[in-house]
Amino acid sequence: MSGIKLEGISLDYGNHFALKEVELEIKQGEFFSLLGPSGCGKSTLLNIIAGFLGQTTGVVYIGDQDVTNIPPYKRNLGMVFQNYALFPHLSVRDNVAYGLKNKKMSKQDIKQKVDESLALVQLESYATRMPHQLSGGQQQRVAIARALAIEPNVLLLDEPLSNLDAKLRKEMQFELRRIQKSVGITTVLVTHDQEEALSLSDRIGILGDGVLQQVGEPLEVYRRPANRFVAEFIGQVNIFDAVLSEGTVYETTAGFKLEAERHESGKQPNRVRFMLRPERIFVEQHVSGEDTANRVKAVVKESSYIGNAIRIRTEAGGIELAVHAPDPMFPVLPAPGQELVLSWKKEDIIYLEVLDHESN
Amino acid sequence: MKATRQKKFYGVLLAPTLIFLGIFLLLPLIQLLILSFQQVDNFFEVIDGYTFSHYIEVLTTPVYLKTIWQTLFVAVITTVICLVLAYPAAYLLVRSPKRWRAFFYILLVSPLLTSVVIRTFAWIILLAQNGLVNDVLMKTSIIDEPLDMLWNMNAVIIAYVQVMLPFAVLPIATAMSDIKGNLRSASMILGSNRISTFFRVTLPLTIPGMISGAMIVFSLAAGSYITPLLVGGRMQPLLPLSIYQQIMQVYNLPLAAAMAFTLMVLVFLVIAVLGYILKKWEVRVNG
Amino acid sequence: MGNKGTRWLDSLIWIAGIAVYLFLTIPVLVIILSAFSPTDYPQFPPTDFSVRWFTEVFQSEQWMQSLWSSTLVMIIVTPLTVLLGTMSSYALARLSFPGKGLIQSFIMSPLMIPQVVLGVALLYLFSSLGLFGSTLGLIIGHIVICFPYVVRTVSVSITNLDSRLELASMNLGSTPWQTFYRVTLPLIKPGIIAGAVFAAVTSFGEISVSLFVSTPETITIPVRTFGYIDQTFDPSVNAIAVIFIALSVIALVIIEKTIGLSKVM
Repeated sequence: MSGIKLEGISLDYGNHFALKEVELEIKQGEFFSLLGPSGCGKSTLLNIIAGFLGQTTGVVYIGDQDVTNIPPYKRNLGMVFQNYALFPHLSVRDNVAYGLKNKKMSKQDIKQKVDESLALVQLESYATRMPHQLSGGQQQRVAIARALAIEPNVLLLDEPLSNLDAKLRKEMQFELRRIQKSVGITTVLVTHDQEEALSLSDRIGILGDGVLQQVGEPLEVYRRPANRFVAEFIGQVNIFDAVLSEGTVYETTAGFKLEAERHESGKQPNRVRFMLRPERIFVEQHVSGEDTANRVKAVVKESSYIGNAIRIRTEAGGIELAVHAPDPMFPVLPAPGQELVLSWKKEDIIYLEVLDHESN
Repeated sequence: MKATRQKKFYGVLLAPTLIFLGIFLLLPLIQLLILSFQQVDNFFEVIDGYTFSHYIEVLTTPVYLKTIWQTLFVAVITTVICLVLAYPAAYLLVRSPKRWRAFFYILLVSPLLTSVVIRTFAWIILLAQNGLVNDVLMKTSIIDEPLDMLWNMNAVIIAYVQVMLPFAVLPIATAMSDIKGNLRSASMILGSNRISTFFRVTLPLTIPGMISGAMIVFSLAAGSYITPLLVGGRMQPLLPLSIYQQIMQVYNLPLAAAMAFTLMVLVFLVIAVLGYILKKWEVRVNG
Repeated sequence: MGNKGTRWLDSLIWIAGIAVYLFLTIPVLVIILSAFSPTDYPQFPPTDFSVRWFTEVFQSEQWMQSLWSSTLVMIIVTPLTVLLGTMSSYALARLSFPGKGLIQSFIMSPLMIPQVVLGVALLYLFSSLGLFGSTLGLIIGHIVICFPYVVRTVSVSITNLDSRLELASMNLGSTPWQTFYRVTLPLIKPGIIAGAVFAAVTSFGEISVSLFVSTPETITIPVRTFGYIDQTFDPSVNAIAVIFIALSVIALVIIEKTIGLSKVM
């Protein structure tokens, strides 16, 4: 088992970059997710690691070995594909044995390894079935067993859960994490589902427009996104551009005031882009008092109920603010036109980008 | 009410076809079957009474047995060669860039739209003693004497393969393009190189296309008489040729009918076996 | 993946593939070469250019009479086959009844029945009906042969047709006939056109059955061509062949423009 190191990976299609200067080190035994919208280059990057695509420049290391010129069939990787890619003409047993037969193992060893792998995914009794006789979740498990049977250096997962329904997807996420932990294999998951990435991964890399925008632990990328792209891609977010008025208080273009914590540089920048997560906003239904820093009156434009929370679109001073209020908060959904008071703590005002360092 | 009215409407649409094919396809075959059991006099005129003697003649006379054997052999060889050649052709058709693909399709379909007489005629020009191949070979001094390439079974098989190849390529290409791209990726990541991937994934998954192609090529190769007549000569021991001669030269219609039915049964047997394998395979893979 | 082993394999497949396509194309090239060559047997490389075989064909009364026969038969066979084929493939696509598979195989069987058998059977039937040697006999034989091609192209179009459109039409109060005429027919038109082209080309080039059921009065071009090749070697056949090739090119263009070549087979 080994880690992965990518050094300056670029893929240039002549008229556009699919990937640009990607630097990444994935530690041994780590569960790493590549997250991004479709077309961001995450699958391309995975295919470069697998060897299906060649990078224009850069080096891929698996363990200590430079695999740039090694074809996929010699890289000893496990891979699970989006629609499982089980061989339809082979039984479950033969699917799992497929890679083992390339390893010149004895028949008995193959059989033992297949049984072990099927036990790992709890499908021992399905060995003689054909793929078409399995449910989506079962096919998924077979695909995992097949990938792990060859004892690969690294496990690559290409949107493996996107074809499953919501409930099954949750189950399989647990299952995947369980298996990964028990085998201890370095795993790279490609997904566009932020919740999946957040709940499964040790670390996440967010890709946008072929550029690796941020790498960090789930908590970090959600709470401290590196830039506007990451902030908007993971979860919902309110973003304000504001100008310093005094101390650490800023005034937004909409006219309300934000008070943030001190900037990490020690010197307050003049113009800043802030973010504020909707669930960090407190809602008061009783409207009283004047607007102060981090407290603003708003008008409901639209609200919707999603079970564990209520999503409210509000307007304050001409800009829109998204708010997620916990379910028990409102006996009935707030009606459009209703006035609310929104407030938040200053530590929830996050510096996203500094637009202008100079003070006036 | 509505459903029955619809059904009636569809029935009305289907009826003319069934009547037409009943009269001009089924009826003549039945007539031919009856004819094959009818007795003949010394001048091969049909007389009263029924007999198995024509079938016995076809199935016991050494020369006819050899003919049957040879017919099947030539059909099998043609089928095998077509299937082997079909793979690289299908590969180019499926995996080449888009604008090339259209070009390959034209090359593939255009022979199907050209009369078999014309295509066979081209082989005479090519293979005759004073034909193009000999001309080129002699002018380049590779040979001194013209080669005898026409009027033998090899010429028949070459012409057959050229005439029937598209029927093998098209279904294999379809089966190939139906294979999901990530199956080959999966095979490679599991340690199979491209050759091994071809034999373990692509080839098995194109079996349906291979069988469909084989069914058509085999039945065409076993049942054609124009091509062997023109490039093989009249004397080749092939059942369709024997049938043609019995009718056009010997005028022994019942014997020709018996031969025709023997041929048809043989062809249908082979097709039935292939069809059975195809069905088995599809049930196994697709449920 | 730019390793040497893969490139080597790729070039090998391409060389093999191109060789196969070349093998398929050579006869056509040879014919074109011969048709414009002044010598009886074409020479390579070609020495001279001449259209004398074309002139000979167009001045020959026999060839022109056959050309007329073939064209006449084709003009009658094509619409009839298309009509029958469209009606039956539509009905079969929408009906389900026990034995449907059997009917389908029966309809497609002229593709599988050895052509010599079909020829003999029709010859015998026509002799007993007194149709032997008549143009009507030829027409009937050609319809039987061309029929499966039409069924195949039309069926492809019908399979691709969303049957909910028809249900919608019937829900809006149309009768089955109105639905067929106003919804189905326009949507499967490409398949019908392609089928018509196939039927026309097949009829024009048909020989296996025609050879059995035609007499000198009703001799079609392929049959006459066959006779010329079989008995005497007449180079004017080359010119005829070029006409056939030109026809198939036209057919290809029509098929590609209507249904797309890749969908036909």
